Amino acid sequence: MRRVALRGLLARKTRLALTALAVALGVTLISGTYVFTDTINSSFDNIFSEAYKTTDVVITPNDAVALNQNGDLPPIDGAVLDRVKAIDGVENVEGSIFDQGGTFLTKAGEPFAAQGPKFVASAFDDERFGGFSYAEGRRPETDGEVAIDRATARREGFAVGDRFEIQADTPKKAYTISGLTQVAGVDSYGGAAVALLTLAEAQRITAKQGKYDEIDLAVAPGQDAEAVTAAIRAALGRSVEVRTGQAEAADQTAEIQDDLGFLQTGLLAFAGVSLFVGAFIIFNTFSITVAQRAREFALLRTLGASRAQVLRAVLGEGIVLGVLGSIVGLGLGILVAGGLRALFKAFGFELPSTGTVLAARTVYVSLAVGVVVTLVSCLAPALRATRVPPVAALREGVAVPETRSSRLAFPLALVLTALGVIAIVVGLFAGFDESSALAFVGSGAGATFLGVAGLSPRLVGPIASVVGRPIEALFGVMGRLARENTVRQPGRTAVTSAALMVGVALVAFATIFAAGAKSTINDAIDAGLRGQAVLQNQDGFSPFASEATDRVAGIDGVSSVAAVRFVDARVEGRRESLTGVDPRTFPTLYRTALPPLGDDAVVVSEGYAEQHGTKVGDTIALTTATAKRLELRAAGIVEDKGRLLGDLTVSNDLVARDFGQRKDSLVIVGYLDGDETKAAIDKAIKTDFPQVEALTAQEFKDDQAGQIDQLVVLVYALLALTVIVAMFGIVNTLVLSVTERTRELGMMRAIGTSRRQVRRVIRYEAVITAQIGGVLGIGLGVLLALLVSRTIEDFSVSIPYVLLVVLFLAAGLAGVLAAVLPARRAARLDVLEALAYE
Amino acid sequence: MAGMIVTATGLSRSYGEGEATVHALAGVDVAFPEGAFTAIMGPSGSGKSTLMHLLAGLDRPTAGSVVLAGTELAGLGDKELTALRRDKVGFVFQSFNLLPVLSAEENILLPLSIARRKPDQEWVDRLVDTIGLRERLRHRPAELSGGQQQRVAVARALASRPAVVFADEPTGNLDSKTSAEVMELLRRSVDEFGQTIVMVTHDPRAAAYADRLLELEDGKVVRDGVPAGA
Repeated sequence: MRRVALRGLLARKTRLALTALAVALGVTLISGTYVFTDTINSSFDNIFSEAYKTTDVVITPNDAVALNQNGDLPPIDGAVLDRVKAIDGVENVEGSIFDQGGTFLTKAGEPFAAQGPKFVASAFDDERFGGFSYAEGRRPETDGEVAIDRATARREGFAVGDRFEIQADTPKKAYTISGLTQVAGVDSYGGAAVALLTLAEAQRITAKQGKYDEIDLAVAPGQDAEAVTAAIRAALGRSVEVRTGQAEAADQTAEIQDDLGFLQTGLLAFAGVSLFVGAFIIFNTFSITVAQRAREFALLRTLGASRAQVLRAVLGEGIVLGVLGSIVGLGLGILVAGGLRALFKAFGFELPSTGTVLAARTVYVSLAVGVVVTLVSCLAPALRATRVPPVAALREGVAVPETRSSRLAFPLALVLTALGVIAIVVGLFAGFDESSALAFVGSGAGATFLGVAGLSPRLVGPIASVVGRPIEALFGVMGRLARENTVRQPGRTAVTSAALMVGVALVAFATIFAAGAKSTINDAIDAGLRGQAVLQNQDGFSPFASEATDRVAGIDGVSSVAAVRFVDARVEGRRESLTGVDPRTFPTLYRTALPPLGDDAVVVSEGYAEQHGTKVGDTIALTTATAKRLELRAAGIVEDKGRLLGDLTVSNDLVARDFGQRKDSLVIVGYLDGDETKAAIDKAIKTDFPQVEALTAQEFKDDQAGQIDQLVVLVYALLALTVIVAMFGIVNTLVLSVTERTRELGMMRAIGTSRRQVRRVIRYEAVITAQIGGVLGIGLGVLLALLVSRTIEDFSVSIPYVLLVVLFLAAGLAGVLAAVLPARRAARLDVLEALAYE
Repeated sequence: MAGMIVTATGLSRSYGEGEATVHALAGVDVAFPEGAFTAIMGPSGSGKSTLMHLLAGLDRPTAGSVVLAGTELAGLGDKELTALRRDKVGFVFQSFNLLPVLSAEENILLPLSIARRKPDQEWVDRLVDTIGLRERLRHRPAELSGGQQQRVAVARALASRPAVVFADEPTGNLDSKTSAEVMELLRRSVDEFGQTIVMVTHDPRAAAYADRLLELEDGKVVRDGVPAGA
């Protein structure tokens, strides 16, 4: 029997290849994700362990309440350095700056387009520290010199001796490049751009005079690093973190892994979707082939094969296909990992790669997932194969008997759809925490997709007659044949289109949601903004030097400015975001009923007050990033139609005093005479603060829309694989249908149908099948978007009809592409052989 | 040759190479006059099906030539052959070969639809009356008996008024009663419409409806005469 299974596989190579490819494409993104993230993690691991290889002990600010955002913890006081020097066993100590938030300018004077982090750091005196080496030139020795990493220099076209402009917390300044650096023998610092200045200069432009982001030290020969670490820890207490160099490297690697964990999870979610779609294809292919081989199974049964043997033969095929497909998928994954890197790079996020990492885990998971999914998908068809009665071998045109389970399919699908929708609704509205809500919505969406796939055999006919109508009207009998062919085996067409439906639904969802988000943001800006322009970091999200705000405030014609700052704190163990505003100017530039806000007061949002039962006059206790405890009085409850304020709003003075945050995230600028003042603001910014951009309300809206669009395009790119898998499903189904209809096609050719007409029939069939998936997918996508948007207060849903029509047409185009191979096969059939075919 | 719809000269067809060569047809000269009903008989492997395939332009000869309705088939490309079959040839198959997704009427009109020709309603009505299935025109093939299906297939073959209809074992899948109905239908189309028909058959009772009987053996015509009982 094993031989029968293998022979069966080899006899149908195209089908074998296509099914294995469905498995492979499902596995691809899983293996690709692992290879991609493993490679990044190992590159960072490599950089950090190299950077701290010869550093014995590292002292960093203590992230006591785990609020570290992008490493911008308040720096260590300079006095700490002197205290460390005095400790026994310490040979050398050096403080350094490593500050994220500067802006580097290209040769053309524009901020870097690349989104990766930019660090302003200080060059070490002691070569043992920092891990930087100078590939070209030398370290910066004067306040006018800078050394940059060689990868950045190469990308932006800088060389030793060139001018290099930096703006951090002080106005822009030009430096001369004294050298190009490497870390761990690699040109790039994990995709980040690093500019090394002298310590004093780095401290000056990051507003950290007399302070350090990190203190590195070497212990005297013969001293134990661990013992010295313990001694320093004892001396300094909890205000700082003291670790050995190795521990610090491990900690930073873990932090990066943690940061990238969301990326891995997100990519695996997309991989799960394409595997889910792959399962549809595998199921369909096996169903069709089992139906076509009914006589073969009957013959085996006549010859004495048991049902169990037939089952094993079909499942055996599944295992072989699963293994083959998974191996191919694993290989494709390595290619896709490179593709993902290129994709992220195209969006401005350059991620490091020092050699591709293929972990054993990647191999196991890919193989296991591929084989298990294949086996599960082919179980039902395999069971159906065992039900073919032996007598069928003697009859012509046997159908595989309908089983009880297939009679129950429709009611079951209804129940599944209902349960899916209920799960989504429960997940969205029951007020669970984020991860269980996501789990509910995710599995609910999966169940809904399966349910609708199960229902769609009944939907295929009506939908086909609608979407097939224009084709029929335009192309006559060929169009009519195509439409009739799609509804011949409604179950088959249903599963094929359902595979495409999943991808289309998610694309539609993303499209609708993004359109809604844009109009919601527009509404919010209209509702809140009273000023004429806003200042923001040109990267769209980072805080920027408040000196820029002061400069703009001083420009003639500017009537007032209102800076907004954001910080995080712990409230009763929860992480909460605080918004800092200027109580004097803010109400004049922003529509809100902000009550007077002293330096020990907090204003809470309506939502927060409702959720936590806060009343005016209550005391809210906060812990800052430096473990400082604050008790603030709730001065009021405010409604914010502009969605700018978070749950907790305090004064900027409080933010500066207790959180050390002196940078602004957004500044609203008010002025009376329009263009002239705006031009003056732009000029001031251009000259000294290129990190900042001034946007009018319309420009601000466009900028926000642009950021959403970029995200949506990334989502589209990741969903593309799902759509490709579904297209292979259409190819597969059509190839198998063509085989089944060989005789009909032979007859049609004999009575004068041209090859082109034959190709047309197949193509239209593919288009109709794809458009059925398009209709179902768009419908589900709209439903899902409407449901999800209900959870967001005042979310304005606007259905982008034009985009949805484009999506529907794109689904048809996917059909046209999928039809190329099967149509060619159908047209190439030899008429005589086709007529003799059985 | 005047009045000849199909003429084959020195027609040969062999398969395989070297010692394994099989000569399915070994130099056949035959012509089919307009308005005649010719039956071709012979044992399995005698070359009768090969002859019909070559005459209809479904296969290409190893040697010799076929002229169909004034057109020399040799040298025609696939496109021209397809157009020729569409416009000049009708087919009736042993296994009916109707499209299951189309109704009886749509099946009859299929060759015209393929050619994007407007059906001659009078002619179609006459055909429908001749096959006697007016009541069942909206039915799909699966809802028709074998004999009814084959009558629809005959109407389909006649719909485009082809120069010649080739019938390949038209009664092979039918019982004797329905066979007789189909044969009478073919006979009437010759007598009433002047249709030229070439039919390959195993069944002497079917052959008896023809005007002329060609017998083939080992790829050669061994007898050309009038069928017994005609």
